[in-house]
Amino acid sequence: MAWTFLIIAGLFEMFGVAMISQVNKKRNWVSVALLIGGFGASFLFLAFAMESLPMGTAYAVWTGIGAAGGALLGMFLFGESKDWKRIVFIAMVLSATVGLKLIS
Amino acid sequence: MNKHWIMVFVAAFFEVLWVIGLKHAGDALTWTGTAIAIFISFYLLIRSGRYIPVGTVYAVFVGLGTAGTFFSEILFFDQPFVWAKFFFVVFLLAGVVGLKLVTKDQPSEGAEA
Repeated sequence: MAWTFLIIAGLFEMFGVAMISQVNKKRNWVSVALLIGGFGASFLFLAFAMESLPMGTAYAVWTGIGAAGGALLGMFLFGESKDWKRIVFIAMVLSATVGLKLIS
Repeated sequence: MNKHWIMVFVAAFFEVLWVIGLKHAGDALTWTGTAIAIFISFYLLIRSGRYIPVGTVYAVFVGLGTAGTFFSEILFFDQPFVWAKFFFVVFLLAGVVGLKLVTKDQPSEGAEA
């Protein structure tokens, strides 16, 4: 169940990242509320997951799903660059971040 | 270095402050400071997403926040220096520099609204 909570937390984080693009496109209270709700729900489910999973593991997986998923949503929904150099560097930052959180 | 990237770096700096706050805050003053740091970091994160692709901004934001937390734990909270962690931080910073080099600024999409 903890892993299910963690995946739900990651999905809400992806949603939150997508809402950052949305807020910048449509500056209204609905998109701001969705952004806050997305990150809020994400932190809540992350906290649920951390009740039984080690903090470093939970944090690493959560960051990985959110940042990689956010970048993919950006490419497919918001027309961000799919340049391979960009993908390589994002993968570098992500793998180092996940690695750091796993060994912390 | 343009001002939109500076915004991302400042957002990451405040992220490190609120992560420290979440771990160490204990009274009304430090919790208020933590809340203000969360607000500033997310405000700058959203603002910079107008000019830099959000996928890039978010990866850099979480990456620099993690690297900054690593350094501040060693400098201020007596955590031991670990070479494996240092290697990851250098690799991470190389990725951030690379991302900055290959990212072209986009015109503000919210400017007309």
